Amino acid sequence: MSYSSVRKTRTSRPRDCHGLQETSSPPPSDDTIVALITPPGEGGVAAVRLAGARSLTLLNRHFKPHRGRAVRPQPFLMRHGWFTDADGSAIDEVLAVYMPAGSSYTGQEQVEIFCHGGDQSVRLIIDALIHSGAHAAQPGEFTRLAFLSGRIDLSQAEAVAAIIAANTNNSHTAAREQLLGGYSEHIGTLREHLVDVMAEIEASIDYPEEEIPTAERKALLKGMSELIGEVKDLADTYRGGRIIRDGFKVAIAGRPNAGKSSLFNLLLRQQRALVTPQPGTTRDYLSEWIDLYGYAVNIIDTAGLRTKGGHVEKIGQDAAMRVISTCDLIVWMVDISRKRWEHELGRDMKWLAERRNILVGNKIDLTPGLARKRARIAAGRFNLVPVSCLTGRGVKRFKDELSAAIRQNLPDLTSGVIVTEARHRQKLKLALGHLRKARTNIRLGESPELTAFDLRIAVNALDELTGRVYTEDILDKIFSRFCIGK
Amino acid sequence: MIGLVRNRDFDILVVGGGHAGVEAALASARMGRKAAIVTMDADKLALMSCNPAIGGIGKSQLVKEIDALGGLMAEAADATGIQFRRLNLSRGPAVWSTRAQADRIAYTRFVVDYVSRHRRVDVIEAEATRILTERGHVAGVELDSGEVILAPAVIVASGTFLGGLIHIGQKKIKAGRMGEKAACRLSDSLRELGFEVGRLKTGTPPRLDGDSIDWSLCARQPGEEPPPFFSARSPRRSLKQATCHLTYTTDETKAIVTANFTRSPIFSGQINSRGPRYCPSIETKFHRFVDKERHQIFLEPEGAGTSEIYPNGFSTALPEDLQWEAIRTVVGLERARITKPGYAIEYDFCPAYQIKPSLVTRRLPGLFFAGQINGTSGYEEAAAQGLIAGVNAALQIADEPPLVFDRSEAYIGVMVDDLCTRSTTEPYRMFTSRAEYRLSLREDNARDRLNDYARKYGLVPAEECAEFARLRERTEAAVAHFASTRIRIAELGELGRRFKRHTTVSLANLLKQPNISLDMALPLLARFDGGFSDDRQVVERAAIIIRYSGYVDKQQREIDKFKKMERVRIPDDLDYDSLTGLKKEAIEKLAQYRPGSLGQAGRIEGVTPGDVAVLSVHLRKRGVAFP
Repeated sequence: MSYSSVRKTRTSRPRDCHGLQETSSPPPSDDTIVALITPPGEGGVAAVRLAGARSLTLLNRHFKPHRGRAVRPQPFLMRHGWFTDADGSAIDEVLAVYMPAGSSYTGQEQVEIFCHGGDQSVRLIIDALIHSGAHAAQPGEFTRLAFLSGRIDLSQAEAVAAIIAANTNNSHTAAREQLLGGYSEHIGTLREHLVDVMAEIEASIDYPEEEIPTAERKALLKGMSELIGEVKDLADTYRGGRIIRDGFKVAIAGRPNAGKSSLFNLLLRQQRALVTPQPGTTRDYLSEWIDLYGYAVNIIDTAGLRTKGGHVEKIGQDAAMRVISTCDLIVWMVDISRKRWEHELGRDMKWLAERRNILVGNKIDLTPGLARKRARIAAGRFNLVPVSCLTGRGVKRFKDELSAAIRQNLPDLTSGVIVTEARHRQKLKLALGHLRKARTNIRLGESPELTAFDLRIAVNALDELTGRVYTEDILDKIFSRFCIGK
Repeated sequence: MIGLVRNRDFDILVVGGGHAGVEAALASARMGRKAAIVTMDADKLALMSCNPAIGGIGKSQLVKEIDALGGLMAEAADATGIQFRRLNLSRGPAVWSTRAQADRIAYTRFVVDYVSRHRRVDVIEAEATRILTERGHVAGVELDSGEVILAPAVIVASGTFLGGLIHIGQKKIKAGRMGEKAACRLSDSLRELGFEVGRLKTGTPPRLDGDSIDWSLCARQPGEEPPPFFSARSPRRSLKQATCHLTYTTDETKAIVTANFTRSPIFSGQINSRGPRYCPSIETKFHRFVDKERHQIFLEPEGAGTSEIYPNGFSTALPEDLQWEAIRTVVGLERARITKPGYAIEYDFCPAYQIKPSLVTRRLPGLFFAGQINGTSGYEEAAAQGLIAGVNAALQIADEPPLVFDRSEAYIGVMVDDLCTRSTTEPYRMFTSRAEYRLSLREDNARDRLNDYARKYGLVPAEECAEFARLRERTEAAVAHFASTRIRIAELGELGRRFKRHTTVSLANLLKQPNISLDMALPLLARFDGGFSDDRQVVERAAIIIRYSGYVDKQQREIDKFKKMERVRIPDDLDYDSLTGLKKEAIEKLAQYRPGSLGQAGRIEGVTPGDVAVLSVHLRKRGVAFP
């Protein structure tokens, strides 16, 4: 087993938890699977997980307890001992814990082995287990097992992936909320309201002769509008949700030699990008992550934009334009030591104005005396943040501006539920479309079976989101709420 | 046991002569098989034990499907109906439902006559006491006389007779209906064969003497004229039409019933089995819905030749003296005389996981169950199952694959699928809300949906099929004509207002508008005649197709998705215990219900989408074809 595949296990999103219709997923192994579950590389302790019916058998074969014989270990009791290879020779001193089927993360029988960190002992342990019949886990397979065993629902499975991928505190909060089921619960509440409305409509269809307190059209419309509002609000959290999950994407852009790469390096606190006095040094773009006051920010250093220049640079510029268009914010760098910068910026503003941007005036250290005063007035006109990438002056203020801009684009985390998956948003949008259709039909006085049709599709969309199946709850609702029957 | 063996070369034996039994025998006879109905009273075939009505919401769709498959129920109701109405006319045509009050005695007489004229159906008046087997296959039945009748297929349609126990107050009577013997030995025989037998409850109101009712205090509910008949084939004659009446319980009713909950076996603990929530007894209504002050009672005539009245909504198991007291508090019933007391009845049923969608039992090949034995309630539900069981018994003898409808084809398919995927907690009744493809499953298109099957199995005469094919063609032509013919807004008068921005509108678009009924549109259509307006049936069919066209297309996409999962077949002998990754509960449920397809597996309660995913992977490994 090579390290690259172990690494994939750790970082990839589960591929197989996006609905049952998708048929390309590999079959779940009947066998026991194994993988490293802590980050690879040097470290104090590394953890190896076994899941599947033979986990305990494999542990017993390779584990020699420090004291006593290899009796059936008690669940959740950490044991100290040696991990041995098939011949019985010791590989590493480890702690091992056994979790019975039904009470583990995967829902399967599961074993976790904690060995010394570092490539060597991890590789030997995993190799020994594979030699004894375990299989290397595929990306996301542990989570898939958990989903298949019914321990977590679809949205929770996705949340696990998000938690693994979360690289800042905020994205971790959103993912954890989803995992704890708060998200499913919220969708569940929406669904419940929807089923209430449906029950009214269905009851009026199936029991036209009964004295059902038929919902007044006005009340029905009001209820529908509330529902639509809630679903829409939830769907709308996706923009912010995506930012929380994927991070805020910022492009540093500007004319050549404005000091974009210098700012990039400053933010990264390392010499990541090559910086020269030569305009057009950056030809490809560079992408790195920084943690800005708890926000994951993806900073992209792009090639300078201009019309002149050689062919290679032109390619770099095309790439720059493409990447800029996917960003949430543009940091536009201006070299205010240049004479014609105001004129140039004036022209660039036509293009910039349509995009979310922060303007940064670089090289204030190069503008002495009177020029600096003039520059300050001009900077005020353009609302420019003056910095010097050379001395670091103004960088703190720039970071504050940047984090303020991010905050503006974030959903309110304290409000709880946020959509972070594109799949979820798509289902919510589908539900939304049918809810609106239903409302229109109610308004037009269309017959109720048509309204019911759209509502049913909306419920199905929510059920597909959480992976729940249609049940008889509408009838149950009818019987519990109305005195019905002759 | 060797008794007197009477082998009269029957192919199919039907135990029970109710609505299920009669349709079962007739359907297998239409397919060329010789059938016999074993019943305790040959004069009571297809008796309406409870409500003297056929159809109603969700049920009328079943009746139309029975009719499209050559069954008798629609014709019998048409011939003996004394009041016809279509419910839900203010809603769309997908939920229009015909309901007929029938003359109870005339109905049974009609069916008895029809059956007696059928040369391939015999009626044996006896009690079937035992199911006989031979080498793991059904072999026939034993009668109470000790006589044995052999047949390669047996259909049990025993209704409330199986272990029937009537409750009136504290009084308990072993009976299948009031005054009729219960079939207890048959249910022992089923237990001996290893069937799980459960208990269900239903009830019926007291019957009243119509001459003792003050009709002036009740609201009249006349029928429709001309009567909307059920059957496409029956001669359009009917008995003299009658009127129903509507009345209400009073505060006094509530007081009396509420004060005497403990005297009803439903609350005293005497009855433990579950009754239908949609058809609660009057005591249940007051018990569960404390806030509701009054309940409506429909007074329905039992027939043209009798003054007996069925007070629909007053089902009760209270002691007889209290029934008298309580009924006389209802408006208009102050001097009412009870002719027969109401009662609750408990009976045996076999939880339906024990049957396949063909209605054959899993345990004993050749043995079929239909009607209340499967946990359903209602004449229509029973008749539909009887028909399917009859067809499939005949197909089994011919060694042909069974006839099974899916949920997108027929209400019958919805019902059978529900039975095969859900546990029964109360008697099962059809509702339109059970049919997720309701817009496509309508009264008006029952024949469009099922005629091909009827022709294939010879259930409907060939000339009738040909006639229907012509109707279909004319409908299609009408749809095309309405789509291509445009009318000037100016000519629409009042109706034209909603098309402000247009100068012309197609007739199809006009018909699609909400609040424009066919009756409003007909005079207009007549002016743009393509030769259709004289044939209301064609115009009506075309109008409905046009009205739903967009929705039905959308629904079709849902149906395609559904069919994809239905087409993944699961082998019947799949060993679920050997499938790793399934939850324990799922293994139990799947092994119990043995779904025929992946789609069906997903509908079984307790089976999660995760389980279905695991199952699909295992099926793939076994080389099961995925469409």
